Amino acid sequence: MRHYLDLVSLSAKEHRRQNRMTRLCIVLAVFLVTVIFGMADMEMRSQMLQAVKSDGSWHAGFVINEEQGAILAARPEVEHISPYGALNYYRKDGYQIEGEEALICGFDPELLEMFPAVELLEGELPEREQEMVVNETIRNRLGVQVGDYLVLTIPGGEKLSHKVTGIARDTALTAEKDAFGVFLSMGGFENLHGKGTEEDREEIYYVTFRSFTNIQRAIRDIQVQLGLGDDQVRQNAKVLLLLFQSRDSYLMQFYLVAVVLAVLVLAAGVLMITASMNSSIARRTEFFGLLGCLGATRGQVLRFVQREALGWCKRAIPVGIFGGIAVIWGLCAMLRALSPGLFEGLPVFGISFPAIIAGLIVGVMTVLLAAKAPAKRAAQVSPLTAVSGNGGSVQPARRAADTRIFPVDVALGIHHAFGSKRNFFLVSGSFAFSIVLFLAFSTGIDFMHHALTPLQPWAPDLCVYSEENQNLIPRELGEEVKACPGVKKVFGRGYGEITVDTEEGIKKLSLISYDKQQFDWAQDSLVKGELEKVIAGEGILLVFGEEGALAQRERVLVNQEGQLQELLVCGILEMIPYPRGAGSASDVAICSEDLFSRLTKETGYAVLDIQLDRDAGDQEVRELRRIIEESCQEGISFSDKRMGNRETKGAGYSMALFLYGFLVVIGLIAFFNIVNCVAMSVSARMKEYGAMRAIGMSTDQLIRMVLGETLTYMVFGVVFGCLGGIPLNRQLFASLVTSRWGEAWQLPAGELAIIVFIVALAVCLAVLGPARQFQRMTVVDTLGAE
Amino acid sequence: MEIVRVENLSKTYGAGEARVEALKQVSFSMERGEFGAVVGESGSGKSTLLNCMGGLDKADSGRVMLNGRDLFEMGEKERTIFRRQNVGFIFQSFHLIPELNVEQNIIFPLLLDYKRPDKERVEELLQVLGLENRRHHLPGQLSGGQQQRVAIGRALITRPALVLADEPTGNLDSRNSQDVLELLCQAARHYQQTVLMITHNMNLTPVADRVFQVTDGVVRELGGERS
Repeated sequence: MRHYLDLVSLSAKEHRRQNRMTRLCIVLAVFLVTVIFGMADMEMRSQMLQAVKSDGSWHAGFVINEEQGAILAARPEVEHISPYGALNYYRKDGYQIEGEEALICGFDPELLEMFPAVELLEGELPEREQEMVVNETIRNRLGVQVGDYLVLTIPGGEKLSHKVTGIARDTALTAEKDAFGVFLSMGGFENLHGKGTEEDREEIYYVTFRSFTNIQRAIRDIQVQLGLGDDQVRQNAKVLLLLFQSRDSYLMQFYLVAVVLAVLVLAAGVLMITASMNSSIARRTEFFGLLGCLGATRGQVLRFVQREALGWCKRAIPVGIFGGIAVIWGLCAMLRALSPGLFEGLPVFGISFPAIIAGLIVGVMTVLLAAKAPAKRAAQVSPLTAVSGNGGSVQPARRAADTRIFPVDVALGIHHAFGSKRNFFLVSGSFAFSIVLFLAFSTGIDFMHHALTPLQPWAPDLCVYSEENQNLIPRELGEEVKACPGVKKVFGRGYGEITVDTEEGIKKLSLISYDKQQFDWAQDSLVKGELEKVIAGEGILLVFGEEGALAQRERVLVNQEGQLQELLVCGILEMIPYPRGAGSASDVAICSEDLFSRLTKETGYAVLDIQLDRDAGDQEVRELRRIIEESCQEGISFSDKRMGNRETKGAGYSMALFLYGFLVVIGLIAFFNIVNCVAMSVSARMKEYGAMRAIGMSTDQLIRMVLGETLTYMVFGVVFGCLGGIPLNRQLFASLVTSRWGEAWQLPAGELAIIVFIVALAVCLAVLGPARQFQRMTVVDTLGAE
Repeated sequence: MEIVRVENLSKTYGAGEARVEALKQVSFSMERGEFGAVVGESGSGKSTLLNCMGGLDKADSGRVMLNGRDLFEMGEKERTIFRRQNVGFIFQSFHLIPELNVEQNIIFPLLLDYKRPDKERVEELLQVLGLENRRHHLPGQLSGGQQQRVAIGRALITRPALVLADEPTGNLDSRNSQDVLELLCQAARHYQQTVLMITHNMNLTPVADRVFQVTDGVVRELGGERS
C-alpha cells in the first residue's frame, strides 16, 4: 500500500458482497438504458430499411421541368438528384405490350441509389432510347429473354421496337396487380413522352439532401426559389420521420412521446443507481467517518469516494453495456431469422452508439453524483461516533415505530421502510418508475395495433379473380390447385345477387358463397346465430349493421327468377373480410356453395384465393399460374400478394418484437431491481437483525419484518406508479392513438395487472434470498464475537 | 436451586494452524439468584462461553442445561423462543433497536411473543432504571449509560432465569458502570435471577458471588463473596 487511495481496492475486497449488489444495480440500470436505447435505434434502422425498400431513400420529390431541375441540382444541400418519369400509372392510357397495358418508367441510373427496391435480376440498364428493362411479370408471361425485341404500342397507335437489356425484380405493387412494368432511360422516356399527352405523364426530380440539412427549411427555400406550390412537392414521410426531419403535426407528437419515453428510461436508470447507493449509506458513512477520524481531509474523503465509485463503474458499466448489446444482437438475429428478405440489411453484430453513450452517461454521471452523498454525510459525522462502536448499532431514528396496530415484527418492517424519507422515496420511487415505464411503453402496443394491419389468417398469397366478379373459375380448379406442390390452402368465393322481400319492399342482396375453410374463419366473427344450418345449405348469414329490416326475421323469401324460395336467416357476422360484389346491391348475404348454385344457377368462383407453404418459391407460382391459365377462360386476372404480405409481416414482426421487447426488458428490470433493493436493504441492516436475533427474534419474525418493509415499498410504489403512470398512459395514448384514429382512452387494466403482478412476484421472491440468509445467519458472527 | 449447568463444553474455531480452542471441557453450574463474574484476557474465550450458555452459539461437544432443558437438543426455532423467555442478554454495544423508543425497546421481547406487557412491571422497571422521564426517547437521544440501562431493562422484562452480560460496562464511565453493576446486583438479589457477567474490570468482581477466570479456554473458579 503506497497511497491512501490504495485502501479503495482493499476496502472493496472486504465489502465484496455489499459492493457486488451496488455493482449489480449499476449493471441493471446501464443495461436497461442500453437495451432500450439500442432497441429503439435498431427498430429505427429496421423501419428505415423497410421504408427504403418500399418507398425508396429519397427525401423529397419536385414536379419540375428540366431547367428547374438544373437549378435544383446546383443547390449545395442537394446530395443526389435524379429525374424520374412515369407514364400510364393507372394502366388505361393505351401504352401496351402485346395488347397488355404497361406502366412505363424513365430514370437515370443514379435513381437506383434512391430506390434499392428496383433490383436488376439480369442484364443491364438501358442506355439508348430504344432499349428497355422489363419486369419479371413480362418475362414470365411473355417468355422474354435479355436481347429480345419487344414492341411498345403508344396511344396514337404508333409501334416502337425496343431491345430488352435487362430484367428487373417485380415490386410489391406490380406483383400484386400482375402489371407489366417497363423501365426506359431518361432519354428514351423523353422521346416517348414527346409522343404522349400531358395528362398521362408525371415527371419528378427525386432528391436526397446532405446529412445535417434542415430538410423542411431546404424544401421551403426550394419552393420559394422555383415558385412551386405544395402540390408540386412530395415528401418521403416515413424516411423523414425516421430522420427526425418531419414537421407533420402528428409526427411532432410522436417525437414528443419518444422524448418523454427516453427521459423516463434515463430517469429510471438514475433512480435505480441512486436508490442502491443510498441504501448502503449507513455503512459507508461510518467508514468515511473513520477515515476523517484518522486524519483524512474532506477533499481526500471525496477523492476516495470518487475512486471507489469509479471502481464500481469500471466493471459494472461495461457489463451492463455488453449485456444490452448482446440482447440487441439477439433481437436482430431473431428479426433476420423471421423475415430474412426484409431484414438482411440489419447488422447481426451491430453497435448502437446512441445506446452506448446513453448507458455510459447514466452509469458514470449517476454513480459519481450519488456517491457524493455519503461523503458529505461523513463530513458531518463526528469522528468519535464513527469509532465509538455506536455508529453501527444505533443509527439515529427520528421517531419511534408504531407497534399498536401491527405485531412488532411487521411494525418494525414498516418503520424501516419509512425510516429514511429519502430512502423511502428512492426505493418506492424506483418501484413506481417501473410501473410508470411499463404503462408508458404499453401505449406503443396500442399504437402498433392501430398502425399495423396484421396479416390475417385468410390473407391469400395468390389471388385469381375475374374483373367483373363473374363466376368464371371452375370449382374443380380449387381441388386441382390444392394438389399442387407448395400449396397450403385454397378457398374460393362465388359472387351473385338475390332479391328478397322485406317490410320495406324488395331488396337486393349481394350473395357470396363460402366454402368450409371460410366458414371456419367466419366462426370467430359470428355475432348471433349458428353456422351449421348455413353450411348445410338451409339459410344465409347477414352482416352486422346491414341486416336492417331483416334483423328480426327468422326467414326471408327469396324471389329468384320468379320462383319464391324461403330461406332461414341463420346468423349475423360482425364483418366479412372480402370485397363486396360489383353489382348494385350494397348489402351482403353469405351462403354455402350448394345454396349459391341453387339460387344463382352458377357453379364457378369469382375469386380463388391461394395460400402457399413457407418454402414455396417462384417456380411453384409459375406452375400454378400455368395450370390456372389452362383451366380458365379470358377475363381472369392473377395477383401475387406475396411481396406485400412479406412487407406487412416484416413491419409487424419488427415493431412487435421491439415493443414487446421493451416491455419484457422493463418487466425484467423491475423484477431484478426489486430483488436487489430488498437484498441491499437487508444487507445494510444485517447487524441490527443479528441483535434482534440475539434478543430472541425468530427467523420467521425476521422474514415477516422484511416482508413488511418490502410490502410497504410495494404498496406505495404501486400507488405512486399509478398516480404517475395512468395519466401519462392517457396522455401518450391521446397523442399516439386518439389524435389519429379517434379511439377513446380506457384504463389500461390489463397492463396494470401485469406489472403489479410482476412487482408482487418480485417482492415475494425478493424475500426468499434474505430468508435463506437469516437461516444461515449465526448471531455471534453477525454481532462480532470476541 | 440449580438454574444453569454447563457440562464438558468444548468449542473450536478454525482449522489447521488457525485452529483455536476457545473452550476446553468447561463444567460448572450456578444456583438461582447467584451473581457470577467472568474475567480473562481478550481472546481467552469469555464471550464464547457466554454465547454458548445463552444458546447464541453451538458448542462442539458438551451441553448446557437451563432450567432442566438441554439448549443444544432443541431445534433452532424452539431454542430462539426458549432463549427469549429464559435468557436476558446485555451487550457491550447495547444493540438497542434504533426505531423503538425506550419503553418499546424494553418490552420488545414480550412483543416478540405477541404478549401484552404488564404495565406495573414496566413502570417498576422504568423506575428502577431511572428512565421514567425518558420513556418516549429514542436510543439516539440517550447517553451511553442510559442506553445500557435500557438494555438491562430489556434483559429483565421477561423475568428470565439467567441474565448474561457481555462487558456491560465496557463502553461506560465509572459512574455509569457502578449504576449498571448495582442494577445487575439488584436483579440477582431482589428478583432472584442468576446473573453471569463478563468484565475486564477487576474492581467490579468483589460484588460477585462467584468469579470465574477464563484462560485459553479453560475455566477456573477463583472464588467470590460467597465462597
